Amino acid sequence: MAKIMKPDELIKSINYTPPAENWLDLPNDLSPGRWAYPAKKNKVEYLMNELPGIFANPRDWSPGDVDWKLPSDWKEIVVNGFRERLDKYRSLKVFMDVCVRCGACADKCHFFIGSGDPRNMPVLRAELMRSVYRGEFTLAGKILGKLTGARVLEEDVLKEWFLYFYQCTECRRCSLFCPYGIDTAEVTMMARELLHLVGVNINWILEPVSNCTRTGNHLGIQPHAFKDIVDFMLDDIETVTGKRVKCPLNEKGHEILFITPSGDVFADPGIYTFMGYLILFDAIGLDFTMSTYASEGGNFGLFTNADVMKALNGKMYAEANRLGCKWILGGECGHMWRVVNQYMDTMNGDLQGPQMKTPVSPITGTVFDNAKATKMVHIAEFTADLIKHGKLKLDKSRNADINATFHDSCNPARAMGLLDEPRYVLKNVVDNFHEMPDNTIREQTFCCAGGSGLNTDEIMEIRMRGGLPRGNALRYVQQKYGVNTMACVCAIDRATLVPLADYWAPGVKITGLHELVGNALILDGEGERTMNLRQEPLPGMEEE
Amino acid sequence: MGLTDSIAARAEELSHKWAELILGTYPEQTQAVWRTNHDPFTNPVGAAIKGATDRLIPLLLTWNDAEAVANSLEQLVKIRAVQDFPPSRALSFVFLLKKLLRQEFMADLSAKGELEELLRFETRVDNLAVIAFDLYVAARDQIARMRVEEVKRAHKNLVRRVNNMGITAHKAE
Repeated sequence: MAKIMKPDELIKSINYTPPAENWLDLPNDLSPGRWAYPAKKNKVEYLMNELPGIFANPRDWSPGDVDWKLPSDWKEIVVNGFRERLDKYRSLKVFMDVCVRCGACADKCHFFIGSGDPRNMPVLRAELMRSVYRGEFTLAGKILGKLTGARVLEEDVLKEWFLYFYQCTECRRCSLFCPYGIDTAEVTMMARELLHLVGVNINWILEPVSNCTRTGNHLGIQPHAFKDIVDFMLDDIETVTGKRVKCPLNEKGHEILFITPSGDVFADPGIYTFMGYLILFDAIGLDFTMSTYASEGGNFGLFTNADVMKALNGKMYAEANRLGCKWILGGECGHMWRVVNQYMDTMNGDLQGPQMKTPVSPITGTVFDNAKATKMVHIAEFTADLIKHGKLKLDKSRNADINATFHDSCNPARAMGLLDEPRYVLKNVVDNFHEMPDNTIREQTFCCAGGSGLNTDEIMEIRMRGGLPRGNALRYVQQKYGVNTMACVCAIDRATLVPLADYWAPGVKITGLHELVGNALILDGEGERTMNLRQEPLPGMEEE
Repeated sequence: MGLTDSIAARAEELSHKWAELILGTYPEQTQAVWRTNHDPFTNPVGAAIKGATDRLIPLLLTWNDAEAVANSLEQLVKIRAVQDFPPSRALSFVFLLKKLLRQEFMADLSAKGELEELLRFETRVDNLAVIAFDLYVAARDQIARMRVEEVKRAHKNLVRRVNNMGITAHKAE
């Protein structure tokens, strides 16, 4: 963060070389811009009431203040919470014990690559927790102390956790390179759970969690307002295509429940992707409904606490049951799919009603056996299957002005292996497509730096430096091939990649996959299309 | 041989030394990683440092293309504008070239009574700093602008609904 220096600091700054101190001894820099705003008191109070035992210490406070107003027994709470989790999660204990500091992960994190801050090396970020683990829970650490890299949990250590576990997007790129398969994202998840126990939190996560618990989506939009907003998009689709399509809400008796992140409903440019979904559903006559209560695919519980994740996720089955749906079609979202693919069946599989069946495409008859456990199909997979069977009439020329690349969103790529389906769809709706360099895509994809609840504007610098590896690869294909559009399948990406591209590769626009599908798709009974879903003239229509 | 010729003859070596000084503004553990990884996609900061010093030294010698100078500075300035540096440290990398030139040439030129040559050349480095300052401020302004735009985008349809409610209420009256 840039701040104006005082004269005595300026004199010191003539020495450009940073001190060669042990990283463990470096003081915390808590200047504004290095942390996201803490959660509002009323949001914490609400959550304490709804989900007891997870959140605590509602108060007005600022990480910039010396006094964080922690409870007097904060240390005991954290140590006990740590002990409880070490017993509960075998994985955490293994991750604490097994790291040999080989350094394979050191330069794999986008936050380290962009910032150069050693505490953003995954090995050292996890070491922030491991040092306390050794100091508090291992005999060697207790006796030998610092010699084993052990630390006692002090307030500064807690503050350091807050700074650095909120500079991890849980993207799991580092885990890909770890010979032991240590999942640093899970270390971050545990650290954040412990911080919540003493009321150390960020608003950009807890307000959505609170809203989502109460109304079903991050912005807390209630059913009537949700309907109004969906109607705007139906109006817009009519303006563009000349056809009024449908979006049933809370209607019983439809085959499929469609759930997408609420960012697609409220935020630009996600709204164009939402219109793309509705155009697709009209084109194939899909028998679906949306729910205004399960109107959020995103699950900020993933970055908060396992029980919160379970509670928020449970609404998907609850609504599928209430509305009598056989299976769930999921929109373009990032962490929703990590929750679905890796945790949903274990957490909430028993909530599935007897009416729920292994998903079968009503158009092609394809049985999605891969979704047998969760009954949830990713829309990229669903659409790829439609295209493969020739069920869609597509006019690529409407996207002729687009020279696309594809950003693999961390969670669909690394957590569910959804690599080829979106590319297949993309190549069927645009003519010009170029991949970014191999070591920046697919499993090795670089994060947008806004995941895991960090997509908030007060830490824009952190996001921009964390976004450098992605932006740098994007700039490369922009300069080399004239790429002007980056497509992605995640609502956080659609929001956070816009400033990232503006800063690192100005001129590249961000779209969802189904925005481009919606543009290319020919509907029965549509009028002549002169503009795209953003209501910009189509190629060749500029003069009209 | 004049100073510019001496610099031209040792351009590669000076670029390397300047890049090393810039790397030195980062923590030791980081330097070790960035020094050894030559892949521009997994080490974009290292690549930006090397790219800037390699291109800027010849440009300082010819000193007739301000746009090329700005283009060569831009990526590194933008990177340092979002790293954890106060403005003075973010732009210190330009002045490290002055430090390097003095270290390499001052004693010799002074002995020959030709120190003026160095002073004259340093004016170019000062100009480099001024160009970097413009780029830095532009980057910081952009960050501020992006914040505002992001908030607007995030609530686009909500604002539309609120505005629409105003119209409906007005009509009802």
